[in-house]
Amino acid sequence: MRYPFPVGDADFIQGDEAIARAAILAGCRFYAGYPITPASEIFEAMSLYMPLVDGVSIQMEDEIASIAAVIGASWAGAKAMTATSGPGFSLMMENLGYAIMTETPLVLVNVQRSGPSTGQPTLAAQGDVMQAIWGTHGDHSLIVLTPATVQEAFDMTIRAFNLAEKYRTPVILLTDAEVGHMRERVYAPHPDELELVCRKLPANEEEAKYPFGDVHGDLVPPMPIFGKGHRTYVTGLTHDERGRPKTVDAEIHERLVKRIVGKIENNKKDIIDYETYGLEDADIAIVSFGIVARSAMRAVKELRKEGINAGLLKLNVLWPFDFELIEKIAENVDRIYVAEMNLGQLYHMVKEGANGKAKVELISRIGGEVHTPGEIVERIKRDLR
Amino acid sequence: MRLLNTTGWVVKMQIRIAGIGGQGVILAGIILGEAAAIEGLNVVQTQDYGSQSRGGHSIADLIISKEPIYDLMVTKADVLVALAQLGYDSTKDSLRKDGILIIDTDLVKPDREYVGAPFTRLAEEKTGLALTVNMVALGYLVAKTNVVKKESVEMAIKRRAPKGTEEINLKAFRIGYEEGLK
Repeated sequence: MRYPFPVGDADFIQGDEAIARAAILAGCRFYAGYPITPASEIFEAMSLYMPLVDGVSIQMEDEIASIAAVIGASWAGAKAMTATSGPGFSLMMENLGYAIMTETPLVLVNVQRSGPSTGQPTLAAQGDVMQAIWGTHGDHSLIVLTPATVQEAFDMTIRAFNLAEKYRTPVILLTDAEVGHMRERVYAPHPDELELVCRKLPANEEEAKYPFGDVHGDLVPPMPIFGKGHRTYVTGLTHDERGRPKTVDAEIHERLVKRIVGKIENNKKDIIDYETYGLEDADIAIVSFGIVARSAMRAVKELRKEGINAGLLKLNVLWPFDFELIEKIAENVDRIYVAEMNLGQLYHMVKEGANGKAKVELISRIGGEVHTPGEIVERIKRDLR
Repeated sequence: MRLLNTTGWVVKMQIRIAGIGGQGVILAGIILGEAAAIEGLNVVQTQDYGSQSRGGHSIADLIISKEPIYDLMVTKADVLVALAQLGYDSTKDSLRKDGILIIDTDLVKPDREYVGAPFTRLAEEKTGLALTVNMVALGYLVAKTNVVKKESVEMAIKRRAPKGTEEINLKAFRIGYEEGLK
């Protein structure tokens, strides 16, 4: 297989470009989208590359249709992706719920910009954290990954596909305009170096009868592929193990939704990923993610130079969330700061995790500019005075 | 003035190229970044520009380091290249006191110590195309700072310059480089 970009080598590329290349290396062969700043470069790259790898990249009439096409492609057996930003992400919420309810593997990239509404199209924000996790209605769970560098955008895109296939679920790659548009040196592994996961297919006709049952006792049913001869019914209505609508039976509804939530919650250990720096002896912890984690890292180093024992928790996965980890950190530090580019979203989850064992403070910044390390340092020093 | 080729690589270098839309400022930043990446250095390149395609400010930021880079935008520039007065006015405060200011001497009237040459005029007279001003300035920058090797930039130009314009861009880069050695 020849790839239309360097593999097994480093290149100097934008975050958006890295996401498109990584998707193709992960096996993505269907992309549907609608252009929007600052995610358009992903679409641009997909339109260029997909025909060269026998894949499909298609412009739909809007974002509602984009995610709908991706759901269809996934049921037809393709690894599929769409990418958007704030306004388009809002439009995708209903079909994101449909993908969760029908257990459709897909990757949805949100290159965050400032909102609400059309807001500041060219500037970065982290205002969609709560929306990514809870934006679609009803009880549910899903997976949200968040990169801080162009290399991480690349690596996490591959991981997003693997998790989507493994757990038969939509995975959101929550990045932002800054990571999307910045250029960094990125190593793209040769596909032989990659561990790629593909969804479980029914082993026989019997298994194919239960595309929504716990056939293997791991809460993740094998997924029949349209056109392979199985009779499969797919609906967003509450359905039984065979996929038939059962909309008034409490027991069936509870069993279905609890399994969909359970397959994520029970596998937290496998899914959750984070990095720490200097937390072992820290009196002050900074919790951060995505682009802001870079400034937080620099801030921790500067605080330590000045004799203040600070540490960093950089979250690579925002959902499922490790409330227990936050509680453990809270037991060992005096204060936890949450640095994020919004008016406080992750902050609330950290506060819940800390469970009153440490004071939790928000270092907030909105308007499009990332916190400088100096701002974080100054705020913490001011509080210590 | 602190000459970087005598102190060599310390930790990291912050470079800012500022001009107006249409001068190819961002392409110059991308090519310099690519050259650093070719040498195996860590590099972050970000940009800031007005929404108009021509005439607004245009800034390319580069941070180049052997260490991992956490910073995003240039906060204290070691080198500022100003190709237009508007670019200079909006970025001059970000240049360190002992940093190097490189200007197009026809187009920028600075209020501090500087080096430079009439890049736009050189581009027009020697390549016949004022548009190559970005490569002339880049050549000058590389000669003055040694931030990357001349050969790495030439390779990056071959990769990144729009198809069919590689030769004229290389020519412009070499003109700037020679000027910078003077």
